[in-house]
Amino acid sequence: MNRVITLIAVLFVASCSGDVAPLVATDVRLTAPMPGMTMSAGYLTLTNNTAETITISHVTSPEFGNVELHETIIEDGIARMAGLDHLDIAAGASAVLEPGGKHLMLMQPVGDLQEVTLDFHTDDAVALTVNVSIDN
Amino acid sequence: MTPRNLFIVGVAVTAIFTGAWFSWRIMTPPAEPVVARVLPMPIELPDFALVDHTGAPIGRDAFNGQWDLVFFGFTHCPDICPLTLQVLASARQQLADAGHQPLPRIVLVSVDPERDTPEKLAQYIGYFGADNLGITGDLEALRELTSGIGIFFEKTSTHADNYTVDHSAVVIVIDPDGKFSALFSTPHEAENFVNDLPLLMSGR
Repeated sequence: MNRVITLIAVLFVASCSGDVAPLVATDVRLTAPMPGMTMSAGYLTLTNNTAETITISHVTSPEFGNVELHETIIEDGIARMAGLDHLDIAAGASAVLEPGGKHLMLMQPVGDLQEVTLDFHTDDAVALTVNVSIDN
Repeated sequence: MTPRNLFIVGVAVTAIFTGAWFSWRIMTPPAEPVVARVLPMPIELPDFALVDHTGAPIGRDAFNGQWDLVFFGFTHCPDICPLTLQVLASARQQLADAGHQPLPRIVLVSVDPERDTPEKLAQYIGYFGADNLGITGDLEALRELTSGIGIFFEKTSTHADNYTVDHSAVVIVIDPDGKFSALFSTPHEAENFVNDLPLLMSGR
């Protein structure tokens, strides 16, 4: 029943300055695709420990053919799913991707999804790689 | 005690208890649903010709005879749809655990019949419980159902090669007469259904 599999996220930060990683992911959860389905959702909290805004332009994963940043917006009783062009994380702040709000839409899964890697890109670099082992 | 006196005492005791019961009824207002909005006049469903998740034809008669919790969504909706169905399944389980009978049926009406075949819908709703009902079918027939009860849906694109469907996020309650009698607005929480459904179901 409970499709939200709590995952053990092993984080690798591409570029570290000092002891604190510039961008940290916590509370990572992936919804495994339902039987017969080819898409699922991902949730996590991204914390920006730098003094500058970090803008995530897109997300990729070797395990999914297509990853999009989406936001569920409920307005006047209507649920809309909006595609986000980018995700801004203000200096010292966190962006929370959670059920019913901003989330990753993961489409076209490849392979058995035992291990999922998510690369969060800025315009010119991979800002953060999150390796997620599915603790099934 | 003579039979006559016994009769008088009997009448007196009955009168006292009846009076006490009426006073209690008047003094104690009935519990009201907290989140559910009860329609002043239940709405008859428009007739429709769709198919269920087994591919069998289904019309409004399918809503007669049990309480239904109906959500309008689609299987390619990764966030709000599974979230809502999970809330409904959890509420139903909590009602079952509390010994509540009868239990409401959970119904997903697809607003994306283009992609939601009966087979896909069966796999999807089966995930949230064995007794759930899925409805899909012809788009025009679907519009006949939704427009009659104020449910909105509209296909829209997120990115070039993908589309999604905006849709009403409400959960509607259909009574055993097959009438739309109450609704739950977002945000959907299992406790809202656990609290309000027994009141709705006993209040008719």
